[in-house]
Amino acid sequence: MATSITMPKRPFLTLPFLLPSLTESLSLGAVRHQSSYRRTKQRLRVKPDASFGPSQQGRDQIIYNPPSSAPKFLPANDVRRAMRPATAAAATTNVSELPSVYKTQPERKYHLTPEDVEEIRKLRLNDPMTWSRYSLAKKFECSPLFIAKVCGASPEKKAIQKQVLEAVQSRWGPKRRMAREDRKLRREAWGRDE
Amino acid sequence: MEQHCSFAAGNVEDATFQDPDAMRHIRRAHKRKTQLQYPSPPVEAATQSAKLAALHARLYLPSRLPLQTLARTLVDASADSNVDFNNESLATLGHDLLANYTSEHLICTYPRLPLSVTFAAMYAYVGPKTLAAISKEWGIDNATVPGGEVDPGFLQFQRVAPGTAVEDISQLKSSRPYADQKKWRMTVSSKIFYDDEFGDAIKGSVALGQGVTEETARATFVRAVLGAIYLHAGRPAAKRFFEQHILSRHLNVSELFNFSQPARDLARLCARENFEAPVAKIVSETGRKSRSPVFVVGIFSGQDKLGEGSGSSLMEARERAALSALKGWYLYTPLNPRVPSSMEEEGAAPWKPAHIDLGEVIV
Repeated sequence: MATSITMPKRPFLTLPFLLPSLTESLSLGAVRHQSSYRRTKQRLRVKPDASFGPSQQGRDQIIYNPPSSAPKFLPANDVRRAMRPATAAAATTNVSELPSVYKTQPERKYHLTPEDVEEIRKLRLNDPMTWSRYSLAKKFECSPLFIAKVCGASPEKKAIQKQVLEAVQSRWGPKRRMAREDRKLRREAWGRDE
Repeated sequence: MEQHCSFAAGNVEDATFQDPDAMRHIRRAHKRKTQLQYPSPPVEAATQSAKLAALHARLYLPSRLPLQTLARTLVDASADSNVDFNNESLATLGHDLLANYTSEHLICTYPRLPLSVTFAAMYAYVGPKTLAAISKEWGIDNATVPGGEVDPGFLQFQRVAPGTAVEDISQLKSSRPYADQKKWRMTVSSKIFYDDEFGDAIKGSVALGQGVTEETARATFVRAVLGAIYLHAGRPAAKRFFEQHILSRHLNVSELFNFSQPARDLARLCARENFEAPVAKIVSETGRKSRSPVFVVGIFSGQDKLGEGSGSSLMEARERAALSALKGWYLYTPLNPRVPSSMEEEGAAPWKPAHIDLGEVIV
């Protein structure tokens, strides 16, 4: 029969995790479980929406849940177009007061002539290294998007740019590469509304 | 020989033709021999099968649909090549009915749905994967090997050999010019004309002796059941069966969208419909300077809010807002949508034309 008590090979004191730790009892004073719990709970105590509450006895109440799609998108012969309440229209009167997503609205000038466009194409085709999209946009006072709409880059320039990109990417470590890939995936998830 | 000799106790050679047990055994052996020469169970076996009767009752099939036809729907063309005994003709009919009922439901319920989303929704409702799942829910088991002696309640088909490339089993039968050029660009609208109801290239039937995949065999079976109901019990029963088994499955159409540039599409839409140009405005925000900010952006056309979205960057919130506005446009449903086949019902109200407008935004 085997002995019921086996002696540890190492003395007890060299295994500090078996002893009750001193640090735990010290740190107890620093963590405020109870009070922070109560505070969190208080903040989460939001009055529920009227649609979810019990119906009030003897008192009429109107619950207005707006339609899922904008009333503007309803066709002219749809009866739901007329059901739009006045309160909804009144609530959005301050659209002009809301801040814009963009700091400055681009000013549209419409100042370029067909000759200018020809000039842009010629410059970009003949000397693509000097005349990039951004330098052309600065020179002609338009957006880089307009330059891209007017003319594409030459195949040689595209090949050079591809090599440059590959050289830059070859210096990326695993962390940066992964972060870039994750960002791309997140960007794609926007379009699927995930 | 006068002496009575039971089959179970003694040997068979001693038995006479007057002996009932021996005769039963002989008849059974004879029957089995005749059954073995057929590739699928004989018609008489249908009434003997408990599985088949149970399936008939479980699916609540109309009593006018006989068990013999139900047995035939379970025999795939790869198991029995005789068109009088396999389910190929029934499946062709059922396939057309399914495609018709589903497409009219989708088009009348969501008249503005983009074509690619319609194809995806069609695939989700009546694609082979869904039909195979339905047949599994119905409790259909596969016969290991098809044959005349098999219980007719099993699904009978010949499997493809392991390692076969499934795409190459059936030849391309598309009428599209240069259909074998896989890398060429195919417009979505050309798929209406050349391709099948899911927007995939039309394939011919599988060559004899090649076998089919389980998914294909199961999908063919479900289609054949609908075809059989249509033939034996008529249109209303087929429509009811379709509504109970296919349309009752929940499909969230709004999850099938995938936009690449929603803001641009929305701008095009507003220009086309003569709405004011959409403007993105910050409705509320929190923690702009923190690590995890939240922005709520609304897209307004004049005084009307078209959509709202939230995100951890202004660009994300704007894209999501534009996307919700576009979904609001695409997922418009008329009040009480009716489908053309509802006119076949008795006492149907006069037909009012379904809603049609420009629908999809083309950039």
